[in-house]
Amino acid sequence: MSPTKTHGKHGDFAIEAKGLVKRFKSGKAFIEVLKGVDFDARHGDLTMVMGPSGSGKSTLIAALSGLLRPEEGRVDTLDIDNLWKLSSGRIDRFRLDNCGFIFQGFNLFPALTALQQVEVVLKFQGMPKGDAKRQATETLKEVGLGARLNQRPSALSGGEKQRVAIARCLAKNPQILFADEPTSALDGENGQVVIRLLRRAATEHGAAVICVTHDPRLEEWADRVIKIEDGVIIDDQRRTPNPDATLASH
Amino acid sequence: MSLALSTLLYEWRRYMAAVMALALSGLLVLAMTGVFIGIGKGFTATIERSSADIIIMQPGATSLIGGPSGVPRRFIPLAYRNPQVVEVQPLDGAGGSFQSVKNVDPTMSQADRARQRAPKQQFVQASIIDTTPGAVTIPTDYSQELVDALRQPYTVAIDETAVTKLGVKLGDKALYNGQTVTVVGITRGYPNMMQANIVMSRDTLRMLGQADTGPRVGPLMVKLRDPAQAERVAAQLNVLGDGQWKAWTRQELADANAGAMFEEGILVIIIGGCVVLGTIIGVAITWQTLRGAIMANIKEFASLRALGVGMGSLNRIVMELSFWVGLVGVAAAIGLTWLVQMLAMANAVIIALPPVLLLIVGGGLVVIAMLSGLLSLGILKNSQPADLLR
Repeated sequence: MSPTKTHGKHGDFAIEAKGLVKRFKSGKAFIEVLKGVDFDARHGDLTMVMGPSGSGKSTLIAALSGLLRPEEGRVDTLDIDNLWKLSSGRIDRFRLDNCGFIFQGFNLFPALTALQQVEVVLKFQGMPKGDAKRQATETLKEVGLGARLNQRPSALSGGEKQRVAIARCLAKNPQILFADEPTSALDGENGQVVIRLLRRAATEHGAAVICVTHDPRLEEWADRVIKIEDGVIIDDQRRTPNPDATLASH
Repeated sequence: MSLALSTLLYEWRRYMAAVMALALSGLLVLAMTGVFIGIGKGFTATIERSSADIIIMQPGATSLIGGPSGVPRRFIPLAYRNPQVVEVQPLDGAGGSFQSVKNVDPTMSQADRARQRAPKQQFVQASIIDTTPGAVTIPTDYSQELVDALRQPYTVAIDETAVTKLGVKLGDKALYNGQTVTVVGITRGYPNMMQANIVMSRDTLRMLGQADTGPRVGPLMVKLRDPAQAERVAAQLNVLGDGQWKAWTRQELADANAGAMFEEGILVIIIGGCVVLGTIIGVAITWQTLRGAIMANIKEFASLRALGVGMGSLNRIVMELSFWVGLVGVAAAIGLTWLVQMLAMANAVIIALPPVLLLIVGGGLVVIAMLSGLLSLGILKNSQPADLLR
């Protein structure tokens, strides 16, 4: 129940993908966005996927998370062999139970308070009302929004909104956390808060955090940096993260 | 509070078009139906507001209006056999021509006389009361003064809404079927938009030569010792009558009278038309509004999909939202209709809104809203979380 629960599998594989191929139709021709990509990510790692726009990095996490079916290849994740063999309902259930998502836009319902945004997802998971409220409150406190529980998005700053979005994911205690350009709509200070939260999700919760970005300054926090270009992984490095790094203003 | 309800309350402007469409559809049907029921009420108000607890009519009667409602006179003493019965009076009434009288100065020129306008002649419905104190036929809202005034021979009362129509005022003389009567009372709350209604005493009606004096009389109005026993006594009277008559409680009869209007084919066509029109307009506007509103939140829905919330759950959110929109629409429809009812009342048009009608129309509006919700579910397919990853 505690939001600081860890999955205790630091170093284990959370996702292994092999030979992912994804094509999009463009006019009469097909464009191959992923050209047989092999990918893996481990629990406790903040894995950074970097590359210029159009390199296929967003498509990659869509394929890994069960949002976009690849033409070829397989994704093994947690205890599931070949995610894409499952029915779409089972894939939804897998994401509901195990995955968090953070987007560049915050995508919060304008009508709901910070607390309700987090609660809604927990209720869909089937958590009883009282527990959901407790868990949501705790998680929002963890991301530093204890004082903003009853504010609607219109009253929150961009950084605070992104923290609500992060709390919405963390409250579910996800084993895998996908983040797509989580800092690019934020200023340096708020960006730093957000990347630190992601770092903490990996270190303390043992989640496999997969963060797509084109911002090279975020590399400082990463355990692993994967560079992708034109649908091919061109570089894969492990590094020691610096949790005290600072992110200058954009 | 659920996501759907919070969204409706917070973004109410976005849903206003749908709520208004539902409200106006509801108003259309409620007002039309209410007016027709009101027309019927105009004819039966004097009876429905009398102190009669039970009305005895022919077994085949389905309402006070039309159908064989009168009974043989010998039923009057029969009804007294029930110990609860304290008074039985036959309903009587007639119709005739009513003409205002102008004081014409014989020395007036023909042109001046014409300028005064011709006296008005109208066909009116005459209903009667008994002027004995506390008689069963007296409407409960009649004042003692009015009853006393009507006790005088050749006197009548008219409703305030008929004053202009009949061209007379309090104290004026008029001709009823060619005999002089005096207007001694003006009632309030008895408008009849089809045909003016005048009230007189049973004795006046007799003196005018129109009372039932033969072996048959109108429906019997029965007063009980304890009005709360009406239903039980009505059942006892029906046993006593052994199929020769049917005893109705006042409420049963009022309901039947309201319903009787709808045996008129043309009314059913008019109201049916309103229902069809209201449904089409309601569904079309509500559907489009819901689509737009869902589209406006499509990214938020997509982010829920990304977090693993299934399509079924999102569908349920939309259906719940439609339900609430429908409910707010019902409230707005009733509110609007109430306003129109006030306005109509000020102009002597009765719009009757029995609870059953509100229930049916309200239920219909919620169904329309849910139907619109069903139609707009398709738009949720646009909530592709992969689109957020751009």
